[in-house]
Amino acid sequence: MHFVSGGAFQGKRKWVNAHYSFAHTPYSWYCAYENMFPFPHDETASVVVLEGIEHWIREYFFPYTDDEKEAIRSYMCAWKRWEQAGERTVVWIGCDIGQGIVPIDAHERAWRDMVGWTYQQLASICNRVDYVWCGINERIK
Amino acid sequence: MIVFISGGVRSGKSSFAEQWAKTMAGATHSLHYIATAIRADEEMEKRIAHHQQQRKHDRWQTWEQPYDLDHIISMFSKRDIVLLDCLTNLWANELFRDHIWDVHGKVPRIVQQMKQLADKVKGLIIVSNEVFYDGIPNERGTYMYMHGLGLLHQHLVTLSDVAILMRYGLPIVKKGRWPCGVV
Repeated sequence: MHFVSGGAFQGKRKWVNAHYSFAHTPYSWYCAYENMFPFPHDETASVVVLEGIEHWIREYFFPYTDDEKEAIRSYMCAWKRWEQAGERTVVWIGCDIGQGIVPIDAHERAWRDMVGWTYQQLASICNRVDYVWCGINERIK
Repeated sequence: MIVFISGGVRSGKSSFAEQWAKTMAGATHSLHYIATAIRADEEMEKRIAHHQQQRKHDRWQTWEQPYDLDHIISMFSKRDIVLLDCLTNLWANELFRDHIWDVHGKVPRIVQQMKQLADKVKGLIIVSNEVFYDGIPNERGTYMYMHGLGLLHQHLVTLSDVAILMRYGLPIVKKGRWPCGVV
C-alpha cells in the first residue's frame, strides 16, 4: 500500500494521477468529500485510491475512542489483505492537518489527534509513503 | 531565472531572499524590491517604514505594487534583480479587490505576469508563506484564498529554477541548486 500526504491544496491528487499514469491504467477512485468509504469485497480495478481519509475519520469514526481505533485498524487491514490477494495497489491520500495552532475546541483537537494516530498506523503498514509540497513529492518511506 | 522561497512565519525567508538577491546582483546589477502591502493602518505604516529603513543601506529601489504587476514590468531590464515579498499579500489584494473571487481567472493572470516579469529581468525571487497545514477551511473566503494560493505555489514552482522551503532559518532545497556564495 502507498500513503500520500501533504498540506491542503498542494497537488496530492494531481501527483497520484501522474505517478500511476491513470490515463493508461484501470483504477477506482473514492473521494471522501463525495462518498462513504468503500469496502474491498466489491472491487474490480487493480489500483484503488482512497482520497481524503481525514474526512472519513471526521464523519464516521467519532467519538474517536479505542473502539473506533480498532474499527479503523481493521478497515485498513481489510484493504491490505485485498491488495495481497493479487497484482493490486491501494493508495491512501490524507491531508496533513497536524501543523496548525492547537484548536480551543475539544472536538477539533480530538479529530487532529485521531487523524495523526491513523496516519502513523498507515505509514507503518504501507510499503511506500510520499509527502507532497507544491506538486513535488518527497519519498519518506 | 525564478527562485521561489516559501516558509512559515518567522522562518527567515525574507532575509534569506534578500541575501540571495544581493549575491545574484553582485556589483554589476541593480536591486529592486516589490513591496505588496497596502498602507491600511498605522501598524502597517510602521512595518513598512521599518522594512524600508533596513533596506536603505543596500542600494535597493522599492516599488509599491499591491496588485497589477503588469503595470511595472516595462520598467525593468536584464540588468535587474527583482525581489517580490510577498506573494500572500499580492494574492489577497488581487482576490479580494472585487466581490467575484474568481480564482480560476485570477491565478493564471498572475502566473502570466510573473512569467513576463521573469523573462524581462536577470532574476526574480518570489517569497511566499506556508499556510496549508491546518486542514481544509470551511469558510468560503478562506477556502478560495487557500485554493488559489496553493495553485499559485504549484504553478510558480513548476516555472522556477530553484524552489526552497525555509525551516527555522535553514533552507531546504526542493528543486534545483542554489548558487555559491549564498549563506
